[in-house]
Amino acid sequence: MLKALKTFCIGALAVSATAGVAHAEWPKDRPIEIIVAFAPGGSTDVMARAMQPYLEKELGAKIVIINKPGASGEIAYTQLSQAKPDGYTFSFINTPGYLSMQVQRKLRYDPKSIQAVARIVDDPTAFVVKADSPLKSLKDLVAQAKANPKSVSVGSSGVGTDDHLATILLESAAGVSLTHVPFPGAGETRTALLGGHITVGGLNVSEFASGDTSSVRPLVHFGDKRSPEAPDVPMAQEQGFEVFMSSERGLAARRDVPADIRTKFSDAVKKVVDNPEFKEQAKKLSLPLAYLSGEEWEQQMPKRLQAFQDIWNKTPWVQ
Amino acid sequence: MELFDSLILGFSAAVTPTNLLFCLIGALLGTLIGVLPGIGPTATLAILLPITFFLPPLAALIMLAGIFYGAQYGGSTTAILVNLPGEASSVVTALDGYQMAKQGRAGAALAIAALGSFFAGTVATIGLAIAGPTLAGFALSFGPAEYFSLTIFGLLCATVLASGSVIKAIAMIGIGLVLGWVGTDVNSGSERLTFGAVELFDGIEFVVIAVGLFGIAEIIINLETPELRGLIATKISRLWPTRDDFQKAWPAVLRGTALGTFLGILPGGGATLSAFSAYTLEKKVSRQPQQFGRGAIQGVAGPEAANNAGAQSSFIPLLTLGIPSNAVMAMLLGAMTIHGITPGPSVMQNQPDLFWGLIASMWIGNLMLLVINLPMIGLWVKLLTVPYRLLYPAILLFCCVGVYSVSNRAFDVALAVGFGFLGYLFRKAKCEPGPLLLGFVLGPLLETNLRRAMLISQGSPSVFIDRPISLALLIASAALFLLLLVPAIRKTREEAFVDEEA
Repeated sequence: MLKALKTFCIGALAVSATAGVAHAEWPKDRPIEIIVAFAPGGSTDVMARAMQPYLEKELGAKIVIINKPGASGEIAYTQLSQAKPDGYTFSFINTPGYLSMQVQRKLRYDPKSIQAVARIVDDPTAFVVKADSPLKSLKDLVAQAKANPKSVSVGSSGVGTDDHLATILLESAAGVSLTHVPFPGAGETRTALLGGHITVGGLNVSEFASGDTSSVRPLVHFGDKRSPEAPDVPMAQEQGFEVFMSSERGLAARRDVPADIRTKFSDAVKKVVDNPEFKEQAKKLSLPLAYLSGEEWEQQMPKRLQAFQDIWNKTPWVQ
Repeated sequence: MELFDSLILGFSAAVTPTNLLFCLIGALLGTLIGVLPGIGPTATLAILLPITFFLPPLAALIMLAGIFYGAQYGGSTTAILVNLPGEASSVVTALDGYQMAKQGRAGAALAIAALGSFFAGTVATIGLAIAGPTLAGFALSFGPAEYFSLTIFGLLCATVLASGSVIKAIAMIGIGLVLGWVGTDVNSGSERLTFGAVELFDGIEFVVIAVGLFGIAEIIINLETPELRGLIATKISRLWPTRDDFQKAWPAVLRGTALGTFLGILPGGGATLSAFSAYTLEKKVSRQPQQFGRGAIQGVAGPEAANNAGAQSSFIPLLTLGIPSNAVMAMLLGAMTIHGITPGPSVMQNQPDLFWGLIASMWIGNLMLLVINLPMIGLWVKLLTVPYRLLYPAILLFCCVGVYSVSNRAFDVALAVGFGFLGYLFRKAKCEPGPLLLGFVLGPLLETNLRRAMLISQGSPSVFIDRPISLALLIASAALFLLLLVPAIRKTREEAFVDEEA
């Protein structure tokens, strides 16, 4: 038994020694771990697994996807902030959750220790009604809410999600009062909408465009330009309400990962996003691809973070 | 006759060598992960998803679906053999199945579970083919108010799960409800009972509690009493159920199938409730309810049939409306969209070969599972003759691996060990963990749906009696409650309890 333990220790030492000198050969010497902050089967997870083979080919490396669900991503981000800064650990980050959690609670990790590497998707938040709903536009919705406060119920994928924040923003922009009904996810929201239990479903453009669209009708989306996935759906701005909200997804690493590794990784992601074969896959999943380099993406974040801080100061969404 | 043509189309699509092969792979993989506690179908589907990109769509879906219902078959095996339920539905199977195994009737329990599951799978598949679209519409009429009333009914059923004292059963449900509070409140986003631990933000995983209270506690009990070691005191008499077993089991299978097919359609919670409700029903209609919890074959047959029928009919909302009713269905939805299939009413019209092919493959898969599982029974039962000192470290290892793999964290393993000791104390106090687990599963459903219903109705509680389905369920709950209070029934319960003391 003792002998076996000894052999094991020596073996472990040998392994860690080889790992120590491997830095120069990134990314060849061991698999790159990419953390997904959500359970298997969610839209982020499906996207990660759809990208996996393409990214492996671009980098010439093996990629392992690890699901670390929980606490709207905080568990995954904490893990990322504790990983070795050797370029073998990345994590998907999702806004607005990644930003809004910095406003709403004290976190276990320092957000400054994490740096965005590449944005992949920008998915506008949308309001969807049942196909036979009398509401034809956002203006109709606001008119009904004005005439009868709280009578319009909006289902969201949870407290502090983009759907919920868009609801709060709209309430303040239009001076109305809506009933927010949180669900655990988009699937449940959609079910409640189809059953006629809620007036409006807060879904993202990709979420309704990828499903069966014959029984639901999008009213409006909160993006800053018309969406190629749903070109006929007007923006809130066009209807006279300055409300913008979308859910972005991308990759991040520790800030002290060598810059050349981050750049190489970001470039590989860009090549995947531009790959016609992957684009075809993305189209099937209704992924609104919108690549940004890590630097470009990070430039937008302080403004959004401030916007969330302002909403929070006025109407904290968690009591 | 249209249905007949459709089924022929389906079978001709499913019986190609490729599709049969993938059906077999799926069923085998499913059985395997079902036997290993904790490694659930959701995680397996996620890992296999990228592979399916390179398969034809129908073959991919057949394999993924096979994993799901294969896991339902496999899950009951560990529940019966070593009292280790891997998911909510097999908790009920463990109640009587494990007792049967202890009496040397593991073979009969496994055979009845497999045969009952096959029958239920067949009926539910036919049901799916005939009435799928109509039933799906009915599922949509279940809103927050209806789910609230259904959950009330389910909680009342939980008191019947216990074979001992009613008071203790109610206390255990209470503890389960409190455990269900842990985590982030869906409605307000605030934390409850997390004690600042980030690992508890999303509450406690079902597998953690089930493995602790059932699996680990069982091991401690077995190690404490040397004479019980070796798992089975008596000799294994025979592998096949007796004529008497069959006679008792088949009506239970029929009832379980009907209940499971119906409840499985309801997205969210329906499939879980089916096994619990079937057990309650069997215990209520039985002339010897005191046999339940002591190795009643109906207690295995009914829930197993219900659970498999429910698994089959949970495909209905996905295929006809594009609504995933659980995490596994959400994975299948993902797989379908990757292949450019939009689940929903259009699938049946635009891709009938795919729709009917998948349905036909489910029946073929169920048949394969029966053929795989029946000869394996001998092997499984032999496993019980392995000396316990060799067996229990292996069980413990599988428990840890399974619990860890749920969210990939060691915290959950420590928590499961804690629940193991708690379960040991419960056993010493003659408190049964079954009602606790049902309280834990149903508590959050009860609360969120109550609050959701009240939010939407803007604070008016009349919504629960204004809606007919909700009203009907509440009346049924009241009736069940009265039945529990009827002195005669109470007397038999107490007699049973005295029996146990004696």
